Amino acid sequence: MLPFTSSSGSKAVPRHHVSGYSNGYPRGGNTFEISPHRFQPRGTTPASRRRRRLLLRIGIAVAICGLFALFVWPRGSIISLVSLGLLSRGDDFQLETVRYYDLSNVQGTARGWEREERILLCVPLRDAEPHLAMFFSHLRNFTYPHHLIDLAFLVSDSKDRTLEVLSNNLEAIQADPDDLQHYGEISIIEKDFGQKVNQDVESRHGFAAQASRRKLMAQARNWLLSAALRPYHSWVYWRDVDVETAPFTILEDLMRHNKDVIVPNVWRPLPDWLGGEQPYDLNSWQESETALALADTLDEDAVIVEGYAEYATWRPHLAYLRDPYGDPDMEMEIDGVGGVSILAKAKVFRHGVHFPAFSFEKHAETEGFGKMARRMDFSVVGLPHYTIWHLYEPSVDDIKHMEQMEQEKLAREAEEKEKAEKAKKMKESFGDATSQWEKDKTEMQNIALQEKKKKPDTPGGSTEGKASKDKANTPAPGSQPAGKESPNGPAKVVARNEKKGGVA
Amino acid sequence: MARPLGPVRLKKTNPVTIVLGAALCIFILYFLIGPSTSDFSPARKAAAALHPLSPPTSPFRKATSTGGKVAPPPVIHYNLNNVTISANPVQNKENVLILTPMARFYQGYWDNLLQLTYPHELITLGFILPKNKEGNAATTELQKQIAKTQKSGPEKDRFKSIIILRQDFDPPLPSQDEGERHKMQNQRGRRAAMAKARNSLLFTTLGPSTSWVLWLDADIVETPRTLIQDLARHDKPLTAPNCFQRYYNTDSKKMDERPYDFNNWQDSPTAQEIASKMGPDDILLEGYAELATYRALMAYMYKEGEDIHQEVPLDGVGGTALLVKADVHRDGAMFPAFSFYHLIETEGFAKMAKRLGWQATGLPNYKVYHYNE
Repeated sequence: MLPFTSSSGSKAVPRHHVSGYSNGYPRGGNTFEISPHRFQPRGTTPASRRRRRLLLRIGIAVAICGLFALFVWPRGSIISLVSLGLLSRGDDFQLETVRYYDLSNVQGTARGWEREERILLCVPLRDAEPHLAMFFSHLRNFTYPHHLIDLAFLVSDSKDRTLEVLSNNLEAIQADPDDLQHYGEISIIEKDFGQKVNQDVESRHGFAAQASRRKLMAQARNWLLSAALRPYHSWVYWRDVDVETAPFTILEDLMRHNKDVIVPNVWRPLPDWLGGEQPYDLNSWQESETALALADTLDEDAVIVEGYAEYATWRPHLAYLRDPYGDPDMEMEIDGVGGVSILAKAKVFRHGVHFPAFSFEKHAETEGFGKMARRMDFSVVGLPHYTIWHLYEPSVDDIKHMEQMEQEKLAREAEEKEKAEKAKKMKESFGDATSQWEKDKTEMQNIALQEKKKKPDTPGGSTEGKASKDKANTPAPGSQPAGKESPNGPAKVVARNEKKGGVA
Repeated sequence: MARPLGPVRLKKTNPVTIVLGAALCIFILYFLIGPSTSDFSPARKAAAALHPLSPPTSPFRKATSTGGKVAPPPVIHYNLNNVTISANPVQNKENVLILTPMARFYQGYWDNLLQLTYPHELITLGFILPKNKEGNAATTELQKQIAKTQKSGPEKDRFKSIIILRQDFDPPLPSQDEGERHKMQNQRGRRAAMAKARNSLLFTTLGPSTSWVLWLDADIVETPRTLIQDLARHDKPLTAPNCFQRYYNTDSKKMDERPYDFNNWQDSPTAQEIASKMGPDDILLEGYAELATYRALMAYMYKEGEDIHQEVPLDGVGGTALLVKADVHRDGAMFPAFSFYHLIETEGFAKMAKRLGWQATGLPNYKVYHYNE
């Protein structure tokens, strides 16, 4: 108290107090004053001012942080933050670089569709444009859940529009309004191997071309598989594009057997003159002693191919064991398999079984695949009475034969046509005459009657009669009614006879 | 005592509360923006697959919950005619797949991988681990290191993609100890299982864009930093460096090195003869005194100070380190788990490659080092 008073001078009351509170009210002091008549702003207390400044500073800091963030994480994140992720743009995505798979989850079981097991459907293609429409109709009809099927196509050395037609069809499927049609991963792989062998039926099945052709096919299959097999596949299904008829449930039907490798029987329909139907795929067979002995005599790179007289193997073929009324679930152990339609567990391929593009135990491609699978103790099974139908493509001989048949048919038809025409003419000239005569007769009778009635008033009758008499030189058939000759009637008859006379 | 509301309460707010609130806000912000801190460059993003169903050699876009229908996977074209395999892989941006069957995790292996100078955005790693106690431990260790590199590491260290597979069959031996592992009677089963593991890893990861496959065992802890470029330079279908092991030589009392991998060899008439007398399922193993084959082993061809790029043709290869052109595997060359010309696993692989027309080459003076336990 003392220093304060001394510094503010000698006056008892400070001056400004007098000026500020000179309204008659006593200043301060009176603590017990409760009068409401005085406005006193609660004012800017130092505490609130500090708080305001603090808020301002925090605001500035946040703004700077925001700008900094915008600078560091250029796009997307801030906007998505402000909009709470509701306005996230398409190109704003996260990358996942690590994948973890447990292969014991993808062993393949008998009821794969219930366990959501994925199938890889592999289709090797070369110049296959004409068959694609048929193939896609099969694809749409598979009853196995489509989203569990991954499609992989290998297009090699194609000169036609295979690639274009294929991708158009596939895009159409994935854009289908029906969600159930959509497939899983779809890969189209292009690779040219420099195919030297022609793809037409004759050169394709000629004996000499077989070994190198089969090795090339094997190579193509291996490239396709190695590019398309993923750690999440439980099954691999190989299907040729030229299968004409197959059950929609084929995947489930084959899977139910729960075998490592399984193939159906493959036949093809034939025209009637060739017997109606025929075993097609002769590559599914059981090994025989004869064939093993034969194999020992061949050199390291030789390839035994089935279905040619050059190698008589005496093997039991799956195709020949078919009974149309047999139990479709009947199984048969086989050693070589055909490639038209193979369902295999993915683990078979994971463990290294593939389509040998070299001579493996004197076999290549699918037959070598069967052999190798057996070698690694996998079960390889064929279904003799479960049949799918391969497209019938006539061979050159068949085409020649058919051309010949066509010509014969044409000749026969021409002959028949000629015969028919002759017969018609004959009929016209002879057979039909009686009825015509009857008609003419009645007509003539009518006319005669009319003439009788009108006779007195027809003056021009004589001239007509004369004309008809001039023409009637040719002898009429004997049944000519003689009695009631009329000027009009004979004229008609004569005209007809004239024409027929020409023929006779 | 009745106290007025509002202003008074505000007056009572402690600056500490505000600071806490701000901290909380930043915390929330961090988690809202956070994940994108480990983001990749636009170039890498553009190269990523659009769908999780895709070749594992490429990273993929994480599924974003857009709420609507999930679009079906797109139709993807891969032109394998355009995948080059050349002596100059860096310039041609060729993808390398490093495959490692792993039973134990060695930090040295991972550190060695990270120091490779080949562009990491072109390298995919593939691992396969058995499903047993040891395998689980190794998986945990591996995943820890992967997370460190791929999530928080610098982008140049991050690999293009990493695949971890767990084996679907049990390893035949309970132990992977050095002594037990190399007993001859155990070899057949062990190598057959190893072959299956290698094939499983290979055929599920190869994919349509790989140019080179580098087989590198999990116990290779030291290689030159330019390993991939050096081996690819030779432009051979199969290229095998020489695998050595560093050890403490008790005779000379200092660190020394000794040859380790005896599966790189050139065939001998003796071996041919032994093989011709064997049953169809017997296999001929290398490096065992009981079975003297007199094959020329690359392990002993090393000459100090000579050209590291000297080449020798090989008939059998080991898998410790081996660079293979992807086309060799695509043609079907795999690791036989059965007796293939009396050979198995990597040695059988060299034979199968040869049957397909691909010749193996060894580099006796180019060394990589095996872990010493």
